[in-house]
Amino acid sequence: MPPFRDDHILLIAPGSTWTLAQLGLPESFTPAKVRIPSRMFPGIEEGHYLPNKVHEVTEGQELMLGNGEVVTAGPNGKPYKKRKVGESASKPSATATNGGAADGGAAGAEDSKKPIDTKGDTTMADATDEKEHHDEDHEEEGHDDDEDHEMNGTKDKASNGKIYYDDDFDEEGAIWCMEQGRIVNWECFFALLLHVHEHINPTFHTPILMISQPSWTCTDKERICQFIFEKIKAPGFCMMDAAAAISAAYSAQSSLIIDVGYEKTDITAIIDYNVQELGRTTIPEGGNSMNKHLQKLLPHLSEDEIEQLKHSSICEILPPGIPIPGEEDSDKDTIMRPPDIGAIGMGGPLPPKAPEEEANEEEEEGVTNIAAIVASGKTQEYLAKKEKEKADKKAGLGLGEKRLPNYKREKNTFSYLEKLADQSTGPTKPDQAIEVPDGEHMDVDPAPATEEPQPSENIENATVPTEGDAAPAAPSSEDPLKVNPEAPPKPAGPSLMESMFSGTKDDDEAKKAQEKALRREEKKRQEAAQSGEKRREVEVGTERFKVAEGGILEAIADAAHRVVSSADDYNQRNDCWKSLIIAGNGSRVRGFKDALLNTMIAKYQVSPSTGTIFTSELPSNIPTPSGTGTNTPQPSSFNTQPNALLLQAAANNAAAAALAQHHPSIPQANQSPSEMKIAKIPEYFPEWKDAGFEECVFLGAQLGAKIYFVTDQGANKGFVTRADYNMQGPQAIHNI
Amino acid sequence: MASTPQMSQVLPSTTKPAELEYGGDEISALVLDPGTNTTRCGFAGEDTPKTCVPTSYGIIPDPEETKFLGKLKIGDNAIHSVIDGMEIRNPMHEGIVENWDVTTEIWRHCIEYRLSSRVEEHPLLVTEPIWNPLKKREKTTEIVFEDFNVPAYFLVKSAVCESFANTKGTALVVNVGHTYTSVTPVIDGIPLKKGSERTPLAGQHLTTQLRHQFSDLGIRMAPWLMIKTKAPYTDLTNPTPLRTRDYGFQPHQSFLELQQDRFIHEFKECISETWPKPKTFPTDINSVPESNRLLQDKAYEFPDGYQRRFGLDRCLAPESLFNPSVSPKPFTGETPKGIAEMIKDSIDHIDADARVTMLNNIVVVGGTSLLYRFNERLNEELMAMFPGPRVKIYSPGQIPERKYSAWLGGSILASLGAFHQLWISKQEYDEIGANIIERRAK
Repeated sequence: MPPFRDDHILLIAPGSTWTLAQLGLPESFTPAKVRIPSRMFPGIEEGHYLPNKVHEVTEGQELMLGNGEVVTAGPNGKPYKKRKVGESASKPSATATNGGAADGGAAGAEDSKKPIDTKGDTTMADATDEKEHHDEDHEEEGHDDDEDHEMNGTKDKASNGKIYYDDDFDEEGAIWCMEQGRIVNWECFFALLLHVHEHINPTFHTPILMISQPSWTCTDKERICQFIFEKIKAPGFCMMDAAAAISAAYSAQSSLIIDVGYEKTDITAIIDYNVQELGRTTIPEGGNSMNKHLQKLLPHLSEDEIEQLKHSSICEILPPGIPIPGEEDSDKDTIMRPPDIGAIGMGGPLPPKAPEEEANEEEEEGVTNIAAIVASGKTQEYLAKKEKEKADKKAGLGLGEKRLPNYKREKNTFSYLEKLADQSTGPTKPDQAIEVPDGEHMDVDPAPATEEPQPSENIENATVPTEGDAAPAAPSSEDPLKVNPEAPPKPAGPSLMESMFSGTKDDDEAKKAQEKALRREEKKRQEAAQSGEKRREVEVGTERFKVAEGGILEAIADAAHRVVSSADDYNQRNDCWKSLIIAGNGSRVRGFKDALLNTMIAKYQVSPSTGTIFTSELPSNIPTPSGTGTNTPQPSSFNTQPNALLLQAAANNAAAAALAQHHPSIPQANQSPSEMKIAKIPEYFPEWKDAGFEECVFLGAQLGAKIYFVTDQGANKGFVTRADYNMQGPQAIHNI
Repeated sequence: MASTPQMSQVLPSTTKPAELEYGGDEISALVLDPGTNTTRCGFAGEDTPKTCVPTSYGIIPDPEETKFLGKLKIGDNAIHSVIDGMEIRNPMHEGIVENWDVTTEIWRHCIEYRLSSRVEEHPLLVTEPIWNPLKKREKTTEIVFEDFNVPAYFLVKSAVCESFANTKGTALVVNVGHTYTSVTPVIDGIPLKKGSERTPLAGQHLTTQLRHQFSDLGIRMAPWLMIKTKAPYTDLTNPTPLRTRDYGFQPHQSFLELQQDRFIHEFKECISETWPKPKTFPTDINSVPESNRLLQDKAYEFPDGYQRRFGLDRCLAPESLFNPSVSPKPFTGETPKGIAEMIKDSIDHIDADARVTMLNNIVVVGGTSLLYRFNERLNEELMAMFPGPRVKIYSPGQIPERKYSAWLGGSILASLGAFHQLWISKQEYDEIGANIIERRAK
């Protein structure tokens, strides 16, 4: 078999909401190029699926509406344009590419249309032409067979009696083929795979690597393998476990992987590159449980708004010690603080510091008086006044509010994008006008304040291909790095006086940053206008800090502890805890990772950590262990508690060395976890750094594909070849 | 003649592979190893089971559910979620199924959860303890064929599997499991009823003893799920206030105990230790002079933050496996014999000519045998009991092999080519009925 080439490898990572795919391995690995929502729509024919909602409209209606734009009561209750996808005309053989599709006909009605939902594709106008072209084929395929009966109701008896409208925004009737990672609708899933395959349209000699979800059963994998070989006819196929892929991306030998998805969280322990199949678990908590919790707190917002609120930068989980504005520094916050911050090694919880605090100091200086106004609760009146005053002077607009960091503001706004195609993840509810509850106001500020709360920070974020909304792209663990350049020149306690004297430079910087922000805003709005999106400000109160209070953190922490505890090799459990990997798009919420780590440390980490034992000096007042061993250590020795464990560690090594016996006694472990920290993000993938490592499962897939298909070339049976499949059938997938 | 598709290296990618290139006989068998603590399942031919679900289940009483009088919660996640009124029960007792309805559900979950959504396609091998009565064996057969509708099935004694897993046809299998410790002589792959013994001195016994020991010390055994965060303290007389999580209801006592078992299990793994020499364990551990202790203290932190160093008292519970009279919690009723005594009983029941072979081939498996220095102690005990013949203990060095020995043996057996003749097919069952198990698999 000729060797596979880098640029002829197809990677597919199916997920419950998004399916990622990419053809070819670039020189430097990049985030997935294709994102397709994991849903299909029932096609015109029974058992056929289409990637977009297709409306049937008779030609008569079309004439009435004219020039290809159909004005209908769409799901949003307002008119919008639908594209005309084509009329049936002469037909090439519809199923030419699909061979003898025997299986439920899932293959039949696929099209090769370019999905407009790929990231960054906001210029729909350009895409439309191409789409129209493709869609003609597509429509014919679907239309072919039941043309006769569809004809019945139409006035026009010509062969092209029906017109189909491809509706990119309507999600009604969508079938999501996966739920919590499990495949619930096979026909639909296969249709999706075929859609992905045809959309990318690789050559015949393109092997496929698929990321398998942990919850897939062995039979599931066999079925997929069968489909890949018999329908897609790939020359090589392999499946990579999602957790294995994530650990490969981090190149971690032992790790604990927490993959927070939409409706589920997979927790897997990896020891010595081996997935611990037995202990791994999938719990039904994920991004959606946060949505639900927010929905409970903010009943007046629609599902869509909640989702976008979660994505926006104002929604964050505050680190311990930072009170939620407007509330007392409540009991909860003090309790959440881990027992001994000083004793915990690096990677421990962040000291109580809001992520943006330093970055904002410079801004705060100039606006101390405004902060006072905000604190006094008159922000809105003040702003209204200010807006009037400076209506023509854009640069200064809303400056004051913008400068106050998110965590100090009782209320903040995010801009809600109405009708952003495929942004929403659930079936969209018919959108009503937003009710404005008392005390809230619709911000008419043309520059959405929340989009750029921190100009200085957002410069870094600007490269991120956000989907309209500023996703909290930079993991907050990077914050210390980020703030360093800003922090030094700033005195700790900014005062009005200082700012008056030294303000000029800062003002300049601030102004520049702001101009940049405004320019970006402008651009965004233009893009939005082009793509038919509409922005609107929605204001929320402190609920935005409570996104994770629905028990998700505790549930994940407990499951994680169970998973590691069930790992058979108890000597290696500590290694898992030392390299936590929190991935998945559910963990994008600001502060989520730190909050999760803090929760776990506070509850499960054995204090003190081994890290401090071996670095700290031996105090001279080691308490001698009391003779009976039943005495608890003296109260005076409380501060030097590490010594107990130090002794223990030393004793254990000695004991292990002395254990020269013939019976395989497995060395006894110490209590774990003695240390927890988040694994270091790999540094040598610049493209990934910008996009965030939440989807690093795809990076792992790329690494895996490189090794399996290119480096190894099947020498170690890294993938199933056509020949293997012919010999062994679908079960070949288990033998790799 | 043109080459058949099988002969050519690779089919052109446009050609569909011919039908019947892979046959149904390639479908791998499932191996199910039900235990009282966990139920293991996986494909034959693999080296570890794919799933290992707790055999305990949760039940939320609900009179409307006619079958179970409540809603069943099966699986690791389900039984560890805090649900109002959920009671934790176990459908098995000492390896024997007591509640068939629930067990069927658990087996089904175990298979369908991660292995295969189509049980009816795979032959199924089930393990059973040697003392499984005929009625239960017939019931198992019935369920496997009627409920799961498997194409073929076989029932093997777990002791046989364990000896096979350790590459021995003849062995004295000592299985130190969760609810019982059993000794079974296996000769040429045939388990002997005569000479097989069992005792409840095993993992669950340890848990009970430790729980008793902790509560005697006055330790608050708040499990992780019930507290918010911990606060380290070392002085039991002056504990920091417990920061409990409020769920708005009080979880069932059985649920709390299940949660306590989690840290007791951890304690067993990393603190408990077997006293290495027989008959030398100090009777009064509090009066041993420091110089004589021969043992380092080990610190353990309880979920609520209480830290304590355990000295000789961490040997107490394991010691009771060999010497039940030292148990912190006295036995109700008759005090059983220690594990070594029981092995001696078993040896005494075996024919005299086989005894030496047995002593040379002692296979020790089971999760509780992972107790630190357990094997050393057992070796010492047996050496003292049988000074003449050579006593040799075989025990896998890998943790999974010890824990899943029975499953592993089953996996080896079911993947053997010769084993295919042994399967009881659905057809045979239909003809003869559940009693076929007694004829075909003794």
